[in-house]
Amino acid sequence: MSRIVSRPLGTPTPANLRAPEAKEPHMHITTAHSTSLRSRRRLRRPAGWAALLVVLALLLAACGGGRSEEKRTDGGDGGDGAASELIDTSGCASDPSVEVTGDTIKLGTSLPQSGLYSAFQEILRGEEAYFRYVNEELGGVKVGGKTYKIELVNKDDQYQADKTVQNVNGLINDDKVFALFNVVGTKNNLAIRDLVNEQCIPNLFAATGSPAWGNTKYPWLLGTMLVPYPLEMQAFVDYLKQEKPDATIAVLRASDDFGRAYADTLKRLVGGTDLRIVKEATYNPEVSDTKAQVTSLAATEADAFVLGATLLACPNALQAVREAGWQPIIYMSGTCTSKTLMNIAGPAADGVLSVGSLMDPNDPRWASDPRMRLYKEKVPQYAPEADVTNGIVAYGWTTAAFLVETLQSSPKLTRLAVMETARTLDVEGVGLQLPEASLSVDEDDWFLGEIFTMVRYDAGKGYFVTEGDVLDFSGKTRSITPPDLITG
Amino acid sequence: MPARPTPLRRAGPAVAALAVLAVLAWLPQYYGSTQTALFGRAIAFAVAALGLNLLTGYNGQVSIGHGAFFGFGAYTTAILMKDHDWPFLATLPVVAVAGLVVGAAVGFPALRVKGLYLALVTLGLAALFPDLVTRFVRGTGGTTLVQIPKVTAPGWATGFAPQDDQWRYYLVLAVAAVLALLAWNLVRGRFGRALIAVREHEAAAATVGIDLARVKVSAFAVSAAYAAVAGSLLVLVTGLANAGRVETFQLSIDFLVIIVIGGIGTVLGPIVGAWLFVFLEDWTKQVFPDTPLLSPALFGVALILFVYVLPDGLIGGARRVTRRLRRRPPPDGTRATPHPEVNPA
Amino acid sequence: MNVSLFFTQLANGIGAGAIYASLALALVLIFRTTGLLNFAQGEMALFSTYVTWWLWDQGAPILVAILVSVALSFAGGAVIERVVIRPVEAASPLIVVIVTLGMFLALNALTQVVFGTDAKQLASVFPRRVFDLGGVRLSAQTLGLVGVLVVECVLLWIVFQRTKVGLALRAVASNPTSARLVGISVGRMLMVGWALAAALGALAGSLVVPATEALTASSMQAILVFAFAGAALGGFDSPLGAVVGGLVVGVANALTIEYLEPLRDVELLVPFGIILGVLLVRPAGLFGTQRVERV
Repeated sequence: MSRIVSRPLGTPTPANLRAPEAKEPHMHITTAHSTSLRSRRRLRRPAGWAALLVVLALLLAACGGGRSEEKRTDGGDGGDGAASELIDTSGCASDPSVEVTGDTIKLGTSLPQSGLYSAFQEILRGEEAYFRYVNEELGGVKVGGKTYKIELVNKDDQYQADKTVQNVNGLINDDKVFALFNVVGTKNNLAIRDLVNEQCIPNLFAATGSPAWGNTKYPWLLGTMLVPYPLEMQAFVDYLKQEKPDATIAVLRASDDFGRAYADTLKRLVGGTDLRIVKEATYNPEVSDTKAQVTSLAATEADAFVLGATLLACPNALQAVREAGWQPIIYMSGTCTSKTLMNIAGPAADGVLSVGSLMDPNDPRWASDPRMRLYKEKVPQYAPEADVTNGIVAYGWTTAAFLVETLQSSPKLTRLAVMETARTLDVEGVGLQLPEASLSVDEDDWFLGEIFTMVRYDAGKGYFVTEGDVLDFSGKTRSITPPDLITG
Repeated sequence: MPARPTPLRRAGPAVAALAVLAVLAWLPQYYGSTQTALFGRAIAFAVAALGLNLLTGYNGQVSIGHGAFFGFGAYTTAILMKDHDWPFLATLPVVAVAGLVVGAAVGFPALRVKGLYLALVTLGLAALFPDLVTRFVRGTGGTTLVQIPKVTAPGWATGFAPQDDQWRYYLVLAVAAVLALLAWNLVRGRFGRALIAVREHEAAAATVGIDLARVKVSAFAVSAAYAAVAGSLLVLVTGLANAGRVETFQLSIDFLVIIVIGGIGTVLGPIVGAWLFVFLEDWTKQVFPDTPLLSPALFGVALILFVYVLPDGLIGGARRVTRRLRRRPPPDGTRATPHPEVNPA
Repeated sequence: MNVSLFFTQLANGIGAGAIYASLALALVLIFRTTGLLNFAQGEMALFSTYVTWWLWDQGAPILVAILVSVALSFAGGAVIERVVIRPVEAASPLIVVIVTLGMFLALNALTQVVFGTDAKQLASVFPRRVFDLGGVRLSAQTLGLVGVLVVECVLLWIVFQRTKVGLALRAVASNPTSARLVGISVGRMLMVGWALAAALGALAGSLVVPATEALTASSMQAILVFAFAGAALGGFDSPLGAVVGGLVVGVANALTIEYLEPLRDVELLVPFGIILGVLLVRPAGLFGTQRVERV
């Protein structure tokens, strides 16, 4: 009863006549013992259960206890001394007006340090450099009359939201951090949003430009000074209205919320103007290949090209535009303004527009600025593995500076006081902030990075040059953004 | 023909099972919420591995796509809970049935596509699923993250589960225990024997009247249903459903690793494997706190070494040891030491 | 319908497909000589590409860097087979898959630790020129890559069909016991198989990465899935199948992006559907050897 499936046609030369035992593409799985089923069952029992118990014992030995402590601190709702007009503390699981004891402020962060997005670990280098500088040269942070050292506990989440939740749980329950800081990723911050809100723990400077941080239901989460993605679109639309009011626009965006923030806002903003979006294409952010999409967009010969992309897709797309022989006005997401990415794009990046809120370490214009000099001196000293010219390191340094500024402006060292201070922040000249850009938030305006400039990349010089005046969109983000992007 | 097992012998496994269940139930009483979440994860993975084991271990069809079924179950539960206010337990029957259907749908083409090619087609599934999620799911903040409303312990349970995460763990444990029992029953009955027969020799199995198509498709269906429910369980533990290409691949591969290190073709294997796996995951993260880059490396190396030493998994290895011990003749004075062992290959 | 656009997208698809095919060739080679599925192939190629980068960064001309890297990878592949794979060669294929998965993780992490996590730039062997043929844009990279693939296929055919080593490889793959009986060193042939695949992978990575613009630790991961898909489509024991399969996958993807707007975000459906369709009709792929089932 042999079943011979059809063979490839052709004369039976030695090449295609295979021996019957030819290596077949199948995987034959057998258990190690092919004895009779019944006797197997009997032998199996004790050994299997023993193995299970051994593994359980291993696991349990490696974990601490902890439940009894949790039961104790889980006493009802705190907030009975914490009156605040800004933040409603009635539902807090623990009292946020408790003062910190000891000499150290413990902060926690979770970011990708391995895996696909491990390039973001450079943020950590910038942060650590700043904190070490403060601890060692300035003696620490002065809050409410007392000086504290800063300790940063960091965990790796590989950019995966469920790992972030695990990490943050550990940071809150086991490490007992005072606040969270600079957690990377939109989904990652969204995943811990409820947890942080319930526990009334500050999550400061979430490292993404998502407009979702304007959601007023979550007062314990503060976004960062990255320009919010919708504002980028407003800036570019204003630019186009001046330069080419009847421009046709082609859009390439990432297929996720990041890309949608650009595309949806843009669609909203061009309504009522002479600008027209002629085509929109998406790409999978986990794959970064954009050649076919760009070819498709290039065929429209649109006047402008909006690139709502990040990481390697940016230079990829810019290169593809060049190869297609297309020469539109290009706008690129602010998250791509890094020397590394632009170097990869090479001449294809020349003339690309974007936004910037930090001083570019590669721009000789800032070389003599005291804050830039400080950065360039201290980073190699306190974080020698970091590349000072990398924009990501600069970002980490600046956000750490923001945190220290927040702490120092806080009247006392309680979570509530610090969060309230963060919610009413109004600063300039912090870290590597642009001199003209002052950052502020208040009750009605929850977005930080609303003052910035447009920049244009000069491939010959190798850095971003300021284009036009400083743009001030203070308080405008909410009105520009489609509401479902904020409250979704 | 071996003698009939005594009543004591027959009660053995039941007692052992109850003992293990008791230990598992005690865990959240002593351990904090971080560890409890870890245990919940191990249990959810065990359920998924049980399912995959039915398909790959007992039936020999290799699937590297069970992360897709897992995610499917997770999102079904999460969306029903978030957008339609369903209670968690009510979503499980839906997930199970949907899992059966989807599994069967994949099982039919699998009749024709075999072995390595089937494995790669399922890999394609694992790549496709996150794209479908990106396209059709609008979760929190416009992302593909779907967060469920909080599941709290009902009044009558606050005695033994004063904290909500303990209650969630008990729910997960209860569902998993039922599914494990079900799996055990399936495996020692006709279905289990049919699965093995089909794996060993399809033609012979057909000769004795086994309907090949039905067995193979059912295997796919049941294993997919298990994976889907496991996904729902994990949603309960973490509070969210999330699927990216990396995550879905990783899950698919994790399940495969689990059944191999546990021991293919046993019911306890996937369970032991899942706990061992979660332990290994956690441990490798803590060994190099300053260089998180090395954790995956350590994990990979640990995996390779494990498989060298115990190619038939922990259960297989344990059985080998037990068999060796049993073969040893009782000391009776005529020999100073027992005979050297002939390795039962 | 815009004809030149169609051909440009076709060219894009071929360009992407050539990338997948390059890695698929290495996969098929390992399978053909050892019967194993090697999940770590992409990461081996990645490591080799980083070695190429390092040599080039130190000042070596790109061609020299590639050749040295290929040679080193040849040796490396043999070592890997002997040290890592040999202990489990006799065990079930599933075990070997697990070992290759472990290698995947270890190699990926090792690459990042040794070479750093920042994106690197690698010079391209092919000139960065784009030819405009009546509206159809074809890059030198694509042409070059396809050319290399054709040469590789021909060379592989010659090795397998016309040399003693090739014959020995085929013998070992088809029946190790008999091969041993006629005096062929099975172990050595397995090492050769892995060495060749590693060398092919090194070449693939070094040629392909400049096309994707940057060398990072994740450069090979997206390609790996498509490479597997292409190899499955073409038939896992056929080098020609690997090339054709890879190209088909690439073209399907590109054309879907252009013409099937409703499938936005889920373009993968089309290549996936094609592969499933082909496998249903020809369960061993387009050019794979069909299985003969004996009872």
